Amino acid sequence: MSFWEYVSSRHDQLLTDTYQHASAVFQCMVIATLLGVLIGVVTYRSEWAGSLATTTTATILTIPSLALIGLLIPIVGLGVAPTVIALTLYGLLPVVRNAIVGLRGVDPALVDAAKGIGMSRTARLLRVELPLAWPPILTGIRVATQMLMGIAAIAAFASGPGLGNEIFRGIASLGSANALNQVLAGTLGIAVLALLFDAAYVLIGRLTISRGIRA
Amino acid sequence: MSSGGERGPGPAGSGSRPRAHRTGDHEGFALRDNVEMGQRELASGEAPTPSAAAGGRRISWQKWTFMPAFLVAALLATWLWFRGARLDSIAHQAVDNGKVWLALRQHIQLTAISTFFVLIIAIPLGIALTRSRLRRATPFAMALANLGQAVPALGLLILLVIWLGIGARSAIVGMVIYAVLPVLANTIAGLRGIDPTLTEAARGIGMSPTGVLSKVELPLAVPLILAGVRTALVLNVGTATLATFGGGGGLGDLISAGIVTQRMPVLILGSVLTVALALFVEWLASLAELLLRPRGLEVAS
Repeated sequence: MSFWEYVSSRHDQLLTDTYQHASAVFQCMVIATLLGVLIGVVTYRSEWAGSLATTTTATILTIPSLALIGLLIPIVGLGVAPTVIALTLYGLLPVVRNAIVGLRGVDPALVDAAKGIGMSRTARLLRVELPLAWPPILTGIRVATQMLMGIAAIAAFASGPGLGNEIFRGIASLGSANALNQVLAGTLGIAVLALLFDAAYVLIGRLTISRGIRA
Repeated sequence: MSSGGERGPGPAGSGSRPRAHRTGDHEGFALRDNVEMGQRELASGEAPTPSAAAGGRRISWQKWTFMPAFLVAALLATWLWFRGARLDSIAHQAVDNGKVWLALRQHIQLTAISTFFVLIIAIPLGIALTRSRLRRATPFAMALANLGQAVPALGLLILLVIWLGIGARSAIVGMVIYAVLPVLANTIAGLRGIDPTLTEAARGIGMSPTGVLSKVELPLAVPLILAGVRTALVLNVGTATLATFGGGGGLGDLISAGIVTQRMPVLILGSVLTVALALFVEWLASLAELLLRPRGLEVAS
């Protein structure tokens, strides 16, 4: 069976897996972004809190994903729970780090000016600092999403959702005629998804980066 | 901002520091840094722990002894717990007869061999791609490196297993392919980030192209190349856990045996060992990065 025949004969299954893969990565990325920016906002002003946040999230990223999932299974069981927790944790570092560096990089004169025209602390954060720090944060989100695409594939081993299941079905039938098709479909599917997400982020960047700081 | 600049950039920052100082544009510095760091290094699983300390050699000993002490304590606790855990025959089968040591040894071998090949491929290639003759190919290589990041490591590894057969060899080939691109991108970024006035000055005092490369460009790019070594090591320790799915051995054997047979002690032992190995390798690499950094590049600000 050629690859295209395989894809057309299994397109229902493949579409479901693709949709679940994309939705798992997307949802975890939303959580990771909210948490990450929050951690960044809370810690960026203090030298030690900022470096603690960066070091902790960096250490999490150093842990191989299969091992982290392995440690989560005894606690939360198999399935969606370890997948979501692992993906969210791995998605944090780029966002936290870029949020801290971005917020620290805001010209103090601008913040001072905002204070001078009577903006409250919240208004300064929401209307001056975060919009200025948004481009690096968005880069962090982009990097994290690409990474999560691959990690989500591994999470399928712990019965997680997504295209990783297609790859693991191929592994289970190594040597059979369809093994190559299954692995190829899963791998290409993830690569295409990653590129589509990347393109979407470029578009989001165009729409959301404040016009004043656009290059 | 100077403190932010010092902690954030790490290797990429030290390469671009002269330029940033020249423009004096702090904001641009931070953003630029981020984009570079973000895309080139974070994507590859690089952990910036040591870059926080990379500003100088004045690092407290607590910082450097904390990680080994923590790892020893964690391993000791796991070992004590594992000795007390009740194992049935299936669990015994997974860990008896030195299988744990074998897996650990295989894992270290997979990591060491693949890192070696990554370095001897990526660094010379990076140097070649930044020479004036091949410079036109650089954006192409960078685009390829970014595109390659989209392919999941697991899929790449298994495709190679199907192509080259089951075993450690396919796993190593897959790990090398997966890690070459980020290290290559790192090397290129490092060599390109060198202040052009420095290479121009070197040429101006009559240095040959080889002299400029070996006496000016490479020493200045050392921090970035070392960061590349660390990136490769950390990536490979992680990818090596996936070798088990292609019959390549390693600590992934214990983890997957634990998941498949639902034996939690085996799963936890395998996971803890993998985590400890990864953190230890990262610690070693960042220590090496700190010690091997040329003295002239330490900016005391």
